[in-house]
Amino acid sequence: MSRKFFQLRLQVPLDRFDLEVEFTGSRRVTGLFGASGSGKTTWLETMAGLRRSARGFIQFGETVWLDSDASINQPPEQRGIGYVPQDHLLFPHLTVRGNLQSGRQRAAAGGHDFKSMLEDVVDVLELGSLLERGVRDLSGGERQRVALGRALCSGPRLLLLDEPLASLDLHLRQRILPFLQRVRDHFDVPMLVVSHNPIELQALCEELIVLEQGRIVATGEPLQVLTRPDIFPFAQSQGFENIWSARVRQHSEHTTSVVLGKADSPVTLTIPRVDTREGSSLTVSVAANEILLSTTEPTHLSARNRIPARLENLQSLGHHQLITARITAGLPPVVIELTSDAIEDLDLAPGSSVYLLIKTSSITVYQ
Amino acid sequence: MPTTPDTAFEAVRATLLWAGLSTALVMIPGTLLAYLLARFEFRGKQVLSTLLSLPLVLPPTAVGYLLLRTFAQQGPLGRATLGIDLDILLTWKAVVIACAVMSLPLVVRTARVSFENVNPRYEMMARTLGYGPLHRLLAITLPLSTRGLLAAMILGFTRAMGEFGATVIVAGNIPGRTQTLSSAIFSAQQSGNEPQANFLLVIALGVGFTAVYLTESLSRPRKTARP
Repeated sequence: MSRKFFQLRLQVPLDRFDLEVEFTGSRRVTGLFGASGSGKTTWLETMAGLRRSARGFIQFGETVWLDSDASINQPPEQRGIGYVPQDHLLFPHLTVRGNLQSGRQRAAAGGHDFKSMLEDVVDVLELGSLLERGVRDLSGGERQRVALGRALCSGPRLLLLDEPLASLDLHLRQRILPFLQRVRDHFDVPMLVVSHNPIELQALCEELIVLEQGRIVATGEPLQVLTRPDIFPFAQSQGFENIWSARVRQHSEHTTSVVLGKADSPVTLTIPRVDTREGSSLTVSVAANEILLSTTEPTHLSARNRIPARLENLQSLGHHQLITARITAGLPPVVIELTSDAIEDLDLAPGSSVYLLIKTSSITVYQ
Repeated sequence: MPTTPDTAFEAVRATLLWAGLSTALVMIPGTLLAYLLARFEFRGKQVLSTLLSLPLVLPPTAVGYLLLRTFAQQGPLGRATLGIDLDILLTWKAVVIACAVMSLPLVVRTARVSFENVNPRYEMMARTLGYGPLHRLLAITLPLSTRGLLAAMILGFTRAMGEFGATVIVAGNIPGRTQTLSSAIFSAQQSGNEPQANFLLVIALGVGFTAVYLTESLSRPRKTARP
């Protein structure tokens, strides 16, 4: 039986259209995907109770937060949420420690042992060396971690993350995404993540909602949703990539070899050299149009990775086709984008055996 | 009674004390009114805001006369109405009240601007962390507007120090009892006591310069006051 985290039916007036949605969240980590202005942040702020003009119904667990018909609209201070806004909003007159402690009263009222919770959060987010610093001179990544920490220390029943990586440059995204994954795995708090970044959503979420002009256009398992022909072009424009969790197997002088998926998975990948100990886990990604296909095992080739796979599905995207291929049963399918001409030339069809060719330098590592 | 050097010193000392008391009297209600005007929408907001600014535009003597009528025997706060005599008129208490009323608009305006300069999203953030309205004001908004509130306080204090028109009407100009710096200058000039007037002028200049200088340095923008 699936748990029900929240249930909602919303109508919120916006400038050009209304946000009109109905959804039941049954997974612990749900993502909201869509273009800017599609209503994602409005949805999040309505959950937080910050949109007082919202009409409809929201139930979280057993608590009704909003019921316009019964004139119930709990103020934000009673909803027990941990909100991490895009601009972080760290209190500028407090130190990092002061910010982390700002939700102390609520945490204590919720029956949490604040001291041990603070220690735990500081540990997971590696904030120990920042505690006595003022927040004005923190870097973007540090601010993001402190904002996450502040939300977690307040003993939230639900974490609301608004574009957690959007304000960071690519390098910092690679650093911060693993922290978000650690937060997800370490704390048993449901999360709602708003983002226009498909990588982040795939890496974090169990279920994805796609919003367009205030309406839900798709829901489901992230990879399945993102590779739908009507959604993939947009996901691609927002930087869609295949992502895998991986474990470091061994280092060589210039590269590192990792095992994809579970520890006993047979699939290894050669990635750019990273400086972590063997056995540590990380996330790797590669764009769908960076993967080459070959129907025979190539030799004398510079690409380090030649992985056998079987084609599962081909979908047309106009001049291109979106191919999904299965490497092994335990791993999510790989998404490859090829021109329709290439597919005709190679005579590819579902069931074909192929080799996936991936250059080491086209792989991004998140650690 | 003519103004003597002794009473001149007394006037300066008393003025500082009364201006201080008046500032103390005005800061809390002034700050709360400013917060109300800066952060809430309610019926009659514009009327309240206008009323609070009136002492700034009315002739000070008119305000003084209004206060005189208020505290007169038959007035709304007079002995006949209240049943007890507050003993305000022609005492130091009248000076403090007149100064407070005259400096309130300046305090409210300055404090309001300093509240309006605090990004309201910080308060919104505090709400999500479980802060009620009073907790938000005390823990977030006030600390983020201390510089502006300090400026409001200094402006209120100097306005009280310079108050003349309303004060002479409700408190008179009694050397040693209700004479202030400004009414002492007036008396000294009227009686041709130039050295005395000069002495008081130097003090007034000193206090005024210091106050404006402090306010200016407080209102210089802080680095990264907003996210």
